[in-house]
Amino acid sequence: MQLNESTYETMFLLYIDNELSPKERLEVEAFIANNPSYALAMEALKATVLSADNIPYAFKENLKQQLDATSLEALEEDWEEHGNTTYATILKEDMQAIPGLSTYFKNTLKKETVSQGKIITPFRFNQNKFTYAAIAACLMVFIGYQQLTKIELPPSTASQLVKTELSNASPKTSVNNIEPVATIKQTATIKLQVSKSSNQRDFNKFQNASIAIAEPTRNNGNLNNQAIITKLPSSYNNPMTMDALTTEAISIEVDTEPTIDEKATTSYEVIDTEDPNRTIFIANFEIDSNKLRGLKRKVNSLFKNNKSERNK
Amino acid sequence: MTDKDYNDCVDNFADGVYRFIVKNIRHTEDAQDIVQSAFEKLWVNRAQVLPEKAKSYLFTVAYHQMIDHIRKSNKMPLAEETSIPHQPINQGQAELKQLLMRAVNQLNPTQKSLVLLKDYEGYSYQEIGEIMNLSDSQVKVYLHRARLILKNKLSAYAPTTS
Repeated sequence: MQLNESTYETMFLLYIDNELSPKERLEVEAFIANNPSYALAMEALKATVLSADNIPYAFKENLKQQLDATSLEALEEDWEEHGNTTYATILKEDMQAIPGLSTYFKNTLKKETVSQGKIITPFRFNQNKFTYAAIAACLMVFIGYQQLTKIELPPSTASQLVKTELSNASPKTSVNNIEPVATIKQTATIKLQVSKSSNQRDFNKFQNASIAIAEPTRNNGNLNNQAIITKLPSSYNNPMTMDALTTEAISIEVDTEPTIDEKATTSYEVIDTEDPNRTIFIANFEIDSNKLRGLKRKVNSLFKNNKSERNK
Repeated sequence: MTDKDYNDCVDNFADGVYRFIVKNIRHTEDAQDIVQSAFEKLWVNRAQVLPEKAKSYLFTVAYHQMIDHIRKSNKMPLAEETSIPHQPINQGQAELKQLLMRAVNQLNPTQKSLVLLKDYEGYSYQEIGEIMNLSDSQVKVYLHRARLILKNKLSAYAPTTS
């Protein structure tokens, strides 16, 4: 800032507040030396600066905190008094001073090297672990719920499960014997259920087939209640990738009333092996978003209740 | 900050904090209470306060507690100290100091605190701004106004200084 009549007061105030750089201070002093009329103005401003005034606070000792005698600082000071003597030496000397100990025991005192300790950190239940545990707990509850709501089928009908997968492009269906129906958007699990009232002769036909393919017939784009069951050679053992080979087609009535099994989101794939006494079941769990949403709502309400109780 | 650092703060800064408060509110017991509260707060929060920031922390806490105290008690400057006697300034340095202090007591609380922090503690504009929650420009403007007020008051009663 250039020193002149309009700016000198600001510069003088900064000067007495010690807010100018050394170079600027020299400029101000030079300005006053060249213009003695401004010296009085500077003196007047300097007179407004309060001089040091010592007012002691009488209760300092009351403010101070008593240092703990066993604090680290005290131990360090105590340790420094012993100089280079090791703690084992001090301990040995102290043991020698104890009258009840035998001389043999005192002489056998050794300086033992202390191995470096290992700090055992306690289990910290941080946010991530809590999240994982919560997810695992929810998953276990959901699986348990699914297992409880599942209706066990008799052995005769359990072997009649059929899983059918449909896609929009080329519906493929893997069928083992006969059973269930359900529709889920693009993929559908069809459970063809053969009731006791259905044709016993057709039922027996499919019971003998190890692998079959079922394709639901469509009526104006809607899934029909009828499915064409295609019987395949029993030697074929890869139903998931196989195209529908039509060897024998039979139309079967499918129950229109949804059963509990149809509501359940669990479907089974049965793979028959060559051994007639051995059957492999592959379970596929599908999460029902409505049930999951209800479960999530209950968990949220539980946590909200706990939070509100804590606030109270 | 360790316990030892805290005790060092008591030794080094208690006088300054007490002087700053008692000069502002001019009430000894209240000033002692404010200083005690400020150091209690420092003790409670000593783990979060760095030793080099302890002085600024103490003045900040004490200043805000003083403002709260003034608001609660609604204490006004003492009547007998609001008027400056007509005395020639050249009677000595003690009289000049007394006149200046009485002029300072006529400033508003913000200007008074600014002058005390600047002259007694030597804080920079930035440090004063942090303590009083003001910008650097505000500190500069308010302090310069206070200086000019003091200058005018002194010159009015001491023609030799003008």
